[in-house]
Amino acid sequence: MEDFVYFFTFQDPSILWVVLGITLLGIGSAYVGTFSFLDKKALLGDAISHAVLPGICLGFILAGEKNPVYIVTGAFVSGGIATFLSTWLKRNTKLSEDAIIATILSVFFGIGIVMLTALQKSGNPEIAGLNTFIFGNAIGISEKDLMLYGGLALFIILVLTFFLKEFRLMVFDREFGDSIGFPMKSISFSFNVLMILAVVIGIQAIGVVLMAALLITPGSAARFWTDRLGTLLILAALFSVISGVMGTYISFVLPQMPTGPWVVVFLSLIALISFLFSPKSGMLFRFFARKKYLRKTHREHLLKALYKALEEGRKSLPIEEIYELYPYHKPQTQSGIKDLKQNNYINQNQEFIELSQSGISEAMRIVRLHRLWELYLNESMNIAPDHVHDSAEQLEHLLTPELEALLEKRLNYPALDPHQETIPRDRP
Amino acid sequence: MITQVEEPILEIHDLTVSYDQNPVLWNVDLSLPKGKLVGILGPNGAGKSTLIKAIMGLIPPTSGYIRIFDKPLNEVRTRISYVPQRESVDWNFPASVLDVVMMGTYGKLGLFRRPGKKEKELALHSLEQVGMSGFVKRQISELSGGQQQRVFIARALAQQADLYLMDEPFAGVDMATETAIFQLLKEMADTGKTVIVVHHDIHSAMNFFDWAIMLNLHLVASGPKDLVMTEELLRKTYGGKLNLLTKVTDLIKRKEFNPLKS
Repeated sequence: MEDFVYFFTFQDPSILWVVLGITLLGIGSAYVGTFSFLDKKALLGDAISHAVLPGICLGFILAGEKNPVYIVTGAFVSGGIATFLSTWLKRNTKLSEDAIIATILSVFFGIGIVMLTALQKSGNPEIAGLNTFIFGNAIGISEKDLMLYGGLALFIILVLTFFLKEFRLMVFDREFGDSIGFPMKSISFSFNVLMILAVVIGIQAIGVVLMAALLITPGSAARFWTDRLGTLLILAALFSVISGVMGTYISFVLPQMPTGPWVVVFLSLIALISFLFSPKSGMLFRFFARKKYLRKTHREHLLKALYKALEEGRKSLPIEEIYELYPYHKPQTQSGIKDLKQNNYINQNQEFIELSQSGISEAMRIVRLHRLWELYLNESMNIAPDHVHDSAEQLEHLLTPELEALLEKRLNYPALDPHQETIPRDRP
Repeated sequence: MITQVEEPILEIHDLTVSYDQNPVLWNVDLSLPKGKLVGILGPNGAGKSTLIKAIMGLIPPTSGYIRIFDKPLNEVRTRISYVPQRESVDWNFPASVLDVVMMGTYGKLGLFRRPGKKEKELALHSLEQVGMSGFVKRQISELSGGQQQRVFIARALAQQADLYLMDEPFAGVDMATETAIFQLLKEMADTGKTVIVVHHDIHSAMNFFDWAIMLNLHLVASGPKDLVMTEELLRKTYGGKLNLLTKVTDLIKRKEFNPLKS
């Protein structure tokens, strides 16, 4: 707890610096990542992040020490070559995109690991710091490094904000962009540059292996919550920053812990929460929406059963007979009856159930929709009368009053359905 | 049966287009007058979409050239509007109807500048013209096929062009919407705009177009509807591909390079 307060009150200026850096990095990568996720290029980010490793090693060899400028330049160049190669291979060979991405990722990462291992054997005392590039260590970043990474992140954020209109066009309708004379090739190229930069700024804090997660996960998680691009970008940035800062905090409390994996743990948690709990597209919401719908359909089936009995001249049905209609669904039937009573659609007299006035009218509505749909299928879609029941059984719960009016008009207010049963209507 | 015109709004000169090494349009040579509603007709795979993509410069021609308003394309882009096929974009993209229609104003804005109040008004007006005023803030994934198509047409209207090129704007559209859109296009043509539409339904083509371009890998006919939509020419257009032409295409495909490229 003491650590927690110490960390989050930013008494230590170096912590403040690191958190500021992680925040910029999080916003920048989430921003770029969301666009690439929308553009269905999520895998490219993964390939680039693995592909920067040889460049990092080369930068180290050339500088002879952990010089951030050399390392960032090296990483950028090697990421650039990987990106260029993937586009070139796609254009000039018949290989599919996933094969190309997988190949580039493994070849570059393999070379990077070979170089890293060779460097470790060389006995250079500075080499220890190089390992942090694999899984990242946010706490170990010096202020000077932070200036560079933070500055680049700020650059990414500004460019994307400034060219929002162009990048939106690139993702949504590139061909239209071409048609109005926008230089879509250059815009795509700039986007790739930003993508590589977004990877490069994360290599020290998050590490090359997991940087792709910081690009893609925030946008994917945020997509569950919103349908607006602006909100999506803000949410993605927020998720990314929260995970980034939490990961850094863990690295601070437990110094042997790498930051990258912890950032990913927090990101995954946010993604899981979004997947389960977001309204509309979340699993839980959909589960309950379905449950509610099934309850409604059962209720309506009960009303229909009571109405059919009424048509046969029986004003009420014994409750046991109703249970027997749905032999394996007694609990559902019981709750259905309870719901209907609450809505005053039915009255219970001892062991007998009878429709109320409003219940009759509601039951008529469902039976009417059922029979109207049967008639529509039969008349307009040429489906035989003995094949229309199942479809009507589903549609009777779905058709809206507008569609009902349309059906009535289309069929010219018919009196009978294809089975010669009366289509019931309230007497005005 | 190819009718050439004086002072054409669009002139296509001996245009050949190929995808990779597969020629999909052979020697198309035609010219179009101003203020007409023009239909591009032909069977599947006849090169209809390819023709308008080539006009728009989206596919480089293998040979031949195109002049619009008697100028090269790049000088007159802001006067041309292109409506891609509805399926060519991902409608799950997080955007509202207004966002998409606003894209129509990008061309005149150019790079860097952001759309402002004037552009928004133009977009709203365009939506009104296609009867989609009630959907301004709607998420595009929630639209029906016909509504998506109308959004695309509203975007084209927001471009305020003189020449419109539309790729299958009636695909997946119900009859009532089709008639309403055709009416709108006709009004546009009456005010001197030229509207070129890729279309597959000959029946409605008979009713609505002034001018027809009939394609089947090569240009079968181009001219006023009454002159070209004859039984003989329709049979030529829809009666299968020319046997010899298919053989030549296969021959070209087998080469290691594209022999048509100059």
